[in-house]
Amino acid sequence: MAQHPSILLKNIKQPGQHTLSGYESRGGYSTIRKVLKMEPAKVTDEVKTSGLRGRGGAGFGCGVKWGFIPKGNTKPVYLINNADESEPGTFKDRVLLELDPHLVIEGMLICAWAVQSNWSCIYIRGEYGYPYTRIKAAVDEAYAKGYLGDNIFGTGFKHHMVVHRGAGAYICGEETALLNSLEGKKGQPRLKPPFFPAAIGLYGCPTIVNNTETLAALPWILENGGKAYAAIGTEKSTGTKLISASGHINKPGVYEIALGYPLLQFIEDECGGIRGGKKLKAVIPGGSSMPVLRADELAGVNIDYESLVKAGSHLGSGGFMVMDETTDMVEVALNVAHFYAHESCGQCTPCREGGHWIEKIFRRIAHGDGLGGDVQLVESICGQVAGHTICAFGEALSWPAQAFIRKFPDEFKHKIGDALVGIRSKRESLNFEYEGAH
Amino acid sequence: MAAPEAAPLVNLTIDGKKVSVPKGTNLIDAAKVAGVDVPFYCYHPHLSVAGNCRMCQVQIKGQPKLAIGCNTTVAEGMEVLTQHSSKDVKDAQAATLEFILINHPLDCTVCDQAGHCKLQDYHYEHNARPSRFLEEKEHKVKAEPLGPHVILDGERCIMCTRCIRFCDEVTKTSELGMLNRGDRSVIAINPGRELANPLSGTVVDLCPVGALTHRDWRFNTRIWFTEQTETICPGCSTGCNVKVATRDGQVVQVKARLNSAVNKEWLCDEGRYGFDRFLPAKRLSAPLVRGQNSTWDVAATEMAALKGQDVLVFVAPDLLLEEYFMLKALLGKIAKSAQIAVAYRERKLSEVEAVLVSPDYAPNFKAAEFMGLVGGNLTSGYEEALFKLRSGSCQAVLCFGDRSILAQDLDDTALRGLSSARVSVATFTDATSKFAQAARVSLPGRSILEKSGLLINRKNRLQYSARCVPLLEGSEPEWRLMQRIAGACGAQLTAAQDDRALSVTFLGLEPRLAGLRIASVKGQGVCLNSYQPNAAAAAGQREAGAQA
Repeated sequence: MAQHPSILLKNIKQPGQHTLSGYESRGGYSTIRKVLKMEPAKVTDEVKTSGLRGRGGAGFGCGVKWGFIPKGNTKPVYLINNADESEPGTFKDRVLLELDPHLVIEGMLICAWAVQSNWSCIYIRGEYGYPYTRIKAAVDEAYAKGYLGDNIFGTGFKHHMVVHRGAGAYICGEETALLNSLEGKKGQPRLKPPFFPAAIGLYGCPTIVNNTETLAALPWILENGGKAYAAIGTEKSTGTKLISASGHINKPGVYEIALGYPLLQFIEDECGGIRGGKKLKAVIPGGSSMPVLRADELAGVNIDYESLVKAGSHLGSGGFMVMDETTDMVEVALNVAHFYAHESCGQCTPCREGGHWIEKIFRRIAHGDGLGGDVQLVESICGQVAGHTICAFGEALSWPAQAFIRKFPDEFKHKIGDALVGIRSKRESLNFEYEGAH
Repeated sequence: MAAPEAAPLVNLTIDGKKVSVPKGTNLIDAAKVAGVDVPFYCYHPHLSVAGNCRMCQVQIKGQPKLAIGCNTTVAEGMEVLTQHSSKDVKDAQAATLEFILINHPLDCTVCDQAGHCKLQDYHYEHNARPSRFLEEKEHKVKAEPLGPHVILDGERCIMCTRCIRFCDEVTKTSELGMLNRGDRSVIAINPGRELANPLSGTVVDLCPVGALTHRDWRFNTRIWFTEQTETICPGCSTGCNVKVATRDGQVVQVKARLNSAVNKEWLCDEGRYGFDRFLPAKRLSAPLVRGQNSTWDVAATEMAALKGQDVLVFVAPDLLLEEYFMLKALLGKIAKSAQIAVAYRERKLSEVEAVLVSPDYAPNFKAAEFMGLVGGNLTSGYEEALFKLRSGSCQAVLCFGDRSILAQDLDDTALRGLSSARVSVATFTDATSKFAQAARVSLPGRSILEKSGLLINRKNRLQYSARCVPLLEGSEPEWRLMQRIAGACGAQLTAAQDDRALSVTFLGLEPRLAGLRIASVKGQGVCLNSYQPNAAAAAGQREAGAQA
């Protein structure tokens, strides 16, 4: 088993790490004290040097994003910790919020200093009850100690932090929907342009939205330097990444790995191999919205942004789902499609209508009522949803559906082949062609 | 609409056609300049951009994804491809329509919107293929009243949110919201609320499909059996542009027309649902003399007494501009002197009404001012005239129109003043009016809905009001009655035989309107504050006037 640098999960097993005293006893809050003496621009530069990329799914350069705040801005700058971790198969932020909440707070303070923000919010997924109590307690403790408030660490820097619980909508993890939700509006994504909340965000003010894991990496980067962080991982995928491993493996859990680690080795070594000695069938490497990869596509693939894109998928949020040979891929496709149909915010037409349509077709196929042409129809629907919606949800619902039907055509064909002849004639009676997309 | 102050022009091409439009224009409007109709549902020029229907997608060269026309503003050198030149755009629009229709009940056969529905229109224009959807449709709320006037069919709704945005942004009453997610989304009324604001019916106009319909007018007729007239609402001096649908002489639907300079596309409930209040149930259809049925000849004999008198004139604020012009000519020819008052009173408006409604029921008082009949404080002028009438000292009184003296002012003293005059003539439409008993001569006038002519609204915009209901046998427009009065006194006013001829004659004679024709006033109207009369035409008119 390879040795991975431990940056994020280093202390999570230490007793009392979630308390302020426990965190401080292991050197916590020492980095922020140093950072507060640095030039804010220097902090941003250090993060740029580290090559840290957003861990929420998009993988956008963290320091670059901070730089989008308009020059000469006079409005308040808001910082949002996006802890609305709802991507199926992803449970890494939960570990940080529960077991090392002060690491998250320290990371947020570093970011706050870099972008000169006096107000931040932890937007935590509504269903995360226990993580909420932990992070809330940590924030309260930090306030009591003067680590948050009008004069933090006695430096005169003001920073207030609010913990806000979501109300159970996946879409509120999309940053502009999150901002609408915070403003008290319905959690629906905003139109682009403007493309970045860093220019026009919460209440029309510049807003930096970063994932919990991204922020938690900051203390280490500022303590050890951006170069040290960049030395880990690959050239473009620097540092470590938390992988939420689940599915048919012997040791599911959250693992911290250096990016660029071979995927199959990860399954074998870290995850303890496939349960019951079964054969690997497929892996979804980045949360359920990312395309599935067949076992035969995995040779030589590493867990990092570039390698997975080359293989035809994405690192996404690091929701790593492993399926063995017993898995019915039609059922998986239905399960995923059901989730996205249920979670579509309903704002724009293609996603609102297309998501449920795909689910209904998959359900029919799974129940043995599939019809000839169904697969092509799903392909055509996906083609018209992806890229035509307000936010990336259109891709999130079409990519996996497309991947399942493209990569496991035989399973779909098999199920449809079982369909009743009478129902099949229903479609034939419609008497028009299904060739190609629209 | 006033031209945006010197907004710099931006050059771009749309489907290869070069256009220059002011900076800040969106691609839907820019395409219009190029003669291309980009289809849309959720966009409205006077509401915020929602960008949710995805119907107005266009392709911009150099951009990987299609863009929505409503939320994209023009940029120098931009190359835009619409459905006419891009297959991607055409396919995306067809797909959007297919998506919108998969959960739509397709109940056009019983839907009030059928025939003027953008779903139908666009389907034929941009998709026109059978649906590939074989699944069970989502079922939603049906026939849910949202308020006193509006009823919702959730299944027909395409979630464009125009109604929500109207209530949030225009009336600022925020009664409506969107409930649930995904294809279970429905428009709903906020808890404990009712869609009862004074402009509530406007949401039905804004609804591009049949989701919101009028409770009063539901299921009463198919739109293709109606006659539709573009006219002006005579309710107040805002002069909202409307389209009136009538069938068998009955008003069956009133819809606002888009006019950015007047009513945007809003209309108040009082104007809309009370549109036929100008057509009383019992009509006066022949002259009365001393309250008794009579003939035009007997009436003429009575009216001859007007000649050379000091006349007190009450004139309704809903006559046509041409009629005020004729009145001026009439008084000049027959009266020794005249005191003229236009019935004008203001009322207090609620905050929401004030968005659109004017505080009067006087759609054309501005025209009376324009013709110089009245001026200064109209209400005190009106009250002075009333005082004079009530004093019983007037020998000759003329009242033109049902609203020449407002019903609340027509008390016993006023009626005595009318009946004690040596000669009093009133023109009106309502056979039950108190005028019928008090005036010496009552003449069967016409409602504003039965006349075509010019109106000037509160903001000094000249607009054309078109007749929208059939004429009642025996009644005559006020200007013809004026001509009869003139005839009785041995004078002649005009040779015009109908409303249109009168308008043409009038526009030809009025130097301040020189160069205007009916066609140029129709549609969006003409702002008189900025209108520069055609100098040559004006000179010609002065000459013609001198000869006449």
